[in-house]
Amino acid sequence: MVRNIVVLGGNSHPAIVESVCSMLALPACNRILTKFSSGESRCEIQDSVRGKDVYIIQTGFGGNGSKLNDHFMDLCIMISACKTGSARRVTAVLPLFPYSRQPDLPYKKSGAPLFKAGSESGKKDYTFDSVPATPAPGVPRSAGFVHGTDITNRLTKTSLPNGAGSMSPVKQTNGETYFGNGQGVASPVPGVIGSYTTHDYENVSHVGAFQAKPGYKQWVAQAGTLVANLLTCAGADHVITMDLHDPQVQGFFDVPVDNLYGRPLLKRYIQSHIPNYKDAVIISPDAGGAKRATAIADAMGIEFALIHKITDRQNASMMLVGNVADRVCILIDDLLDTGNTITRAAKLLKKEGATKIYALLTHGVFSGDAINRIKASAIDKLVVTNSVPQNEHKALLGPKLDVLDISPIFAEAIRRVHHGESISVLFNYD
Amino acid sequence: MSAEMANEIKLISGRSHPELSENIAKRYDQIPLGRPPLGIEVARTISLNYSNQETSFTVGESVRDEDVFIVQSTSTGDVNEGLMELLIMISACRTASARRITAVIPNFPYARQDKKDKSRAPISARLVANMLQTAGANHIVTVDLHASQIQGFFSVPVDNLYAEPSFLRYIRENFTAEDCVIVSPDAGGAKRATSIADHLNTAFALIHKERPRPNVVGRMVLVGNVEDKVAILVDDMADTCGTLVKAAAVLKENGAKSVLALVTHGILSGSAIETLNGSVLSALVVTNTVPLGDKVQRCPKLRVIDISPTIAEAIRRTHNGESVSYLFTHAPV
Repeated sequence: MVRNIVVLGGNSHPAIVESVCSMLALPACNRILTKFSSGESRCEIQDSVRGKDVYIIQTGFGGNGSKLNDHFMDLCIMISACKTGSARRVTAVLPLFPYSRQPDLPYKKSGAPLFKAGSESGKKDYTFDSVPATPAPGVPRSAGFVHGTDITNRLTKTSLPNGAGSMSPVKQTNGETYFGNGQGVASPVPGVIGSYTTHDYENVSHVGAFQAKPGYKQWVAQAGTLVANLLTCAGADHVITMDLHDPQVQGFFDVPVDNLYGRPLLKRYIQSHIPNYKDAVIISPDAGGAKRATAIADAMGIEFALIHKITDRQNASMMLVGNVADRVCILIDDLLDTGNTITRAAKLLKKEGATKIYALLTHGVFSGDAINRIKASAIDKLVVTNSVPQNEHKALLGPKLDVLDISPIFAEAIRRVHHGESISVLFNYD
Repeated sequence: MSAEMANEIKLISGRSHPELSENIAKRYDQIPLGRPPLGIEVARTISLNYSNQETSFTVGESVRDEDVFIVQSTSTGDVNEGLMELLIMISACRTASARRITAVIPNFPYARQDKKDKSRAPISARLVANMLQTAGANHIVTVDLHASQIQGFFSVPVDNLYAEPSFLRYIRENFTAEDCVIVSPDAGGAKRATSIADHLNTAFALIHKERPRPNVVGRMVLVGNVEDKVAILVDDMADTCGTLVKAAAVLKENGAKSVLALVTHGILSGSAIETLNGSVLSALVVTNTVPLGDKVQRCPKLRVIDISPTIAEAIRRTHNGESVSYLFTHAPV
């Protein structure tokens, strides 16, 4: 029995709240957490939190008819309510940290929307100058720093090395140039068509309805810092999460962040469920995850291979670095969103002669058409943790999906944080 | 000249209420500015939700050193989506080096959760205020805050515009003041209603109500005389419309010739439209601070006053460093 501690659950993942509470042998805090008909969240915390150590469990996942942003606002409101209710300390427990992985570039590196300024006419139409803000006839341009030197023209020249002229500009959808007269250019349609995945930004045609002004490389919001700041501003004194996509996110916070690892669970699964795992190959499906995968490979003394994405101007192809012929392959990554990366990697591995393919990921979000993609893929066994609710996914994928339970890790982390014990043992237990 | 040109208005629209943003931009075209009457356009941006439901926002033109105004209302049922989108937009403009970011939030979300009225109740309005500032808003423009004290939750300037001048004009254009009596549907709105009654020099009445639970209306008592008059109910928001419709019935019982309601924010959630259609109210007049969607088609009693001239003028004055207080008593045409 742990005393003076309150575990409060959001609506995103009731199963893990229940499981953590039963491990800590305490009831979950009574609360009302619904919506008013206007759409505003309604939160009432019915048990006293005065002087208590409050842990609020809410994962960054919207599904089953609920919305991610609703869950996040609920979390902030709960934190704030506990703070104004004189809680001694409020800890936000986010098994999956929302907004931790967003693309920072709207296009592939090679497909960046550089505009063509090689011809004379191009020079007339486009300028690197961001001023005037509202392009119009008769609006004067801002002066350069040095009189008589038109710095914009020089920029235009130096930025176009040989051959770059072949890089075509991003076409205006309606074939009009923007700077013409300010008329006839439809403003962006704010209501957007269809659903997007984090991969779609790589594909110019998906963002066809929207074009940045010529000469401006569009600015994509990075919400990670914002989310961190919002949690702190709501009153979170401590954050516990797991397998952050970027460990740097910890640095966005001014409060302590405990980034737990799902790695020990994955390791244990490999040891207990994969026969002759010593002869298998650990694969990282992209260069970014190499560190994660090598950590497991090194610790277990298993060979390692890497899939490298080659992106030339038109298409992306994948290349395997290492040998997988007649071997069992274990793909390791942190997050399965649309399943695009992992299924393509599996396809390549099969082509390279892999006998069996396991895919082990900490967070299984399964958004978009991920379920169908996985079903059709060459992956023989997919293993995820229950950092987000997996019941529905398990029902759809059946025996292809194994779910590992992370609630003991979070229960133990909460217990240790509450008692002021070190939690570093959770980082490398086996 | 060049220094002036470097700081332009950038009007950015969220997904919740693009029509309002368009109206503001269009309205802006008509204001003579002493320069080519190009006015402004809504900036090129795109907001979308990924399949994992995370909101993404992209700016398609430079906002560096510009005066950014972000228009985002809260559409009924999707308050949290709109709020997160607004916060992400503000944060994106902040990191893209905007000089000043003004959040134009015609209908301030969570305005009713502004006090700790029971144990451990969240003061969500203050949370929203803190979040907006954390995201990087330097200035807030809003219309008819539920409680003007919410301004005190901010440490940045808040311009709380009023729909009252627009309502006064509507009443003057459609009724003779002597025939009317202004009615407040609850004690909390008495100040708002008396202000209108004073400006029109008409009578005033008040309905006292008991409210056992939120969104549930109790017994109502009329204080004042409405016999053979046009009773005009005045309030700041119409949500489920339970209060308004009950108040209208009470007024009818007390001999009012007809009853209409003037409400700033037409949230109209739940079964509000059906409630209205079946009520004795002859008309519900709202401003377009909240996107109404197809509600105007579904409810023949609903009339809409365009608030965008007031907001556009507030934006112009804020940008040019002029006083905004003129707008508290006058509605631009």
